[in-house]
Amino acid sequence: MSAPTPPRIELAGVGRTYRVGEPEAVPALRDIDWTIPPGEFVSVEGPSGCGKTTLLNLVGLLDAPTAGEIRWDGTPVGHRPDRERARLRLKGVGFIFQRFYLLPTLTALENIELPMRALRVPRAERTRRAGDLLEEVGLHGKERSFPHQLSGGEEQRVAVARALANRPGVLLADEPTGELDSGNAAAILALLERVRADRDATLVLVTHNPEVARHARRHVTMRDGRIASDVPGA
Amino acid sequence: MRWGYGSSLRHLRLQQVLAIAAVGTAVALPVVLVSVGGGVAAHELAGLENAGYQIVVSAAGAHGIVDSHNLTDRIRAIASVAAASPTLSLTVDVFPSGGSPTAVPAEGVIPDQFPATLPPEERDLFPSVLRLGDPTDAVHFDNGTYAGPASNDVMISTALAAAHGIANGTTLLIGGSDNRSQAVAYIVTGSFGAASSLLGPVEGSAVLLPLSNLQVLGGLATGPDAFQHDASDTIEVSVTGGSSVDPAALAQVRAQIQSLVPFYAVTSLGQEAQQLESASGVLTGFYLALSSVGLTVGLLFLALVLVRRVESDRRSIGIRRALGLPAGSIAREIVLDGIRLALLGAAVGVIGGYVLVEALAAWGSSGVRLAAQWARFDPVTIGAIVVGIVALSLLASGVATRVALRIEITEALR
Ligand SMILES: Nc1ncnc2c1ncn2[C@@H]1O[C@H](COP(=O)(O)OP(=O)(O)OP(=O)(O)O)[C@@H](O)[C@H]1O
Ligand SMILES: [Mg+2]
Repeated sequence: MSAPTPPRIELAGVGRTYRVGEPEAVPALRDIDWTIPPGEFVSVEGPSGCGKTTLLNLVGLLDAPTAGEIRWDGTPVGHRPDRERARLRLKGVGFIFQRFYLLPTLTALENIELPMRALRVPRAERTRRAGDLLEEVGLHGKERSFPHQLSGGEEQRVAVARALANRPGVLLADEPTGELDSGNAAAILALLERVRADRDATLVLVTHNPEVARHARRHVTMRDGRIASDVPGA
Repeated sequence: MRWGYGSSLRHLRLQQVLAIAAVGTAVALPVVLVSVGGGVAAHELAGLENAGYQIVVSAAGAHGIVDSHNLTDRIRAIASVAAASPTLSLTVDVFPSGGSPTAVPAEGVIPDQFPATLPPEERDLFPSVLRLGDPTDAVHFDNGTYAGPASNDVMISTALAAAHGIANGTTLLIGGSDNRSQAVAYIVTGSFGAASSLLGPVEGSAVLLPLSNLQVLGGLATGPDAFQHDASDTIEVSVTGGSSVDPAALAQVRAQIQSLVPFYAVTSLGQEAQQLESASGVLTGFYLALSSVGLTVGLLFLALVLVRRVESDRRSIGIRRALGLPAGSIAREIVLDGIRLALLGAAVGVIGGYVLVEALAAWGSSGVRLAAQWARFDPVTIGAIVVGIVALSLLASGVATRVALRIEITEALR
């Protein structure tokens, strides 16, 4: 079964303001108009606090905008109820976080099976698929290891495998190499590029490391909650 | 639920143990109260049902019933009365040959009526026909003149026979006082086992005489100024089979007897049984109300522990939600966790309550020990308590689930 074509993601006039106690409002994002075509590999760069994570969370429907609309293939999805956005995330988006965020009480294999369990994939099939994914990220034999028994690089590989579990069209990685040494970082980047290409998936890669950003085909730079530049890569 | 991030395992274990202990204590209390209370009530009821008699006539003061022989005949004439047995209880002195005078409890009875009003376990202590001469005690009584020939037969308890080496067929002097010269010679015609509950705990020593003989010995045959006395303490009435278990029929017989003796107390054990039953119902309700305090505390504790665990697990919950796992799957895990803790607590409570009652039955002070021995562990009641606590644990899980689902995903992942 091949992955479904990723959606064309459009942000129209999107803003996100955090309210920390009514008087202080933090406008983390302002008036973003941005389109991510299917299968794009784009990096998002910018200084700390400029709104990269906020933007990624909105693109992945983890959060809802306080202004504007988000569309997937033309369908407004940004303001759908939690339950629907959770369903869209479960099937369509794979998240990879800086701090891996594996569930510490589950084994590597169980972590990868978790999203499939929520979609009621039969046990035999999900175990097989999780095993294949683990092999694909180069961790054959680590099925029964718990996260604390893995190195940081290995944990992030499991996280990549988990993000791929339900064959999402969109991969969103928030500083996936931020906590890894340069060797492991390069390996994770190579892995992400490879799995993205194999699946024709969209990949949005947040980083403030220009070295990392260089791998992308398109480069977005943010400043103060706005997109400052959006240019095709080298 | 397998809990994770941000929580020290030892703390979680401790909290879990505390929650189980709190629920266990909350469950043990009603288990003990209801089992012991229900057991005591059931024991009393069974005692009433097996009493052998269903209606008792009694009068104020010792030996307060007068005209006992006639009254007994009139009660026996009532339809559906099977037997009516007047009883007089006195202390007499026996003079064993070669021994010193000994005071023993004596019962005066009408020989053919007495066994019919005994409960089964006491009936077995006596021969089925009492060997006390004239079965109706009418010959000696002789219409209240006490002029007829007395049988002067006596039955003695096996304890008394053994203590003084008194054999069947021998003569035993019995007197109303320790003055040997006024004692009367009786023939020992047989013996009976002694139930301490029946004849008092005086080492099981007792004698059984025809009613008229004991009345004469005790000066209770004729009253002062030759006033007809014919005294007894109670008349126990047994009703024929069908009516004995029918409260309405019993009430009717009771009313008929009461109309014969307006100034005596006539009590039906059916009434007592009903009162006992309703009293035990009230008590059970009271026990449960009392226990509800404990249950509330236990459940609050359970809710607190579940909320604590949700909070210490914010990150794991945030990750699950971020991956898109439905809220229901998170709620289900919390609910299952609550049910698991509640069931463990209930098991601890039921076992703890049982052990406590058994310990009381073995080592309690005498009254407590008896009550504990009568305790009844009714599986239906205990099952209801367990189901109740599990159902209530859903409230605690509900609170924790609300907290879990209010966690902001993006904040939990920062
Ligand atoms: N939950 C929140 N409540 C209040 N303010 C927030 C919240 N999340 C983010 N912010 C603020 O919004 C702004 C953008 O934050 P964001 O996390 O998107 O930045 P970032 O570009 O990802 O930074 P970094 O490179 O350090 O990860 C910051 O000023 C931050 O303090
Ligand atoms: Mg960030």
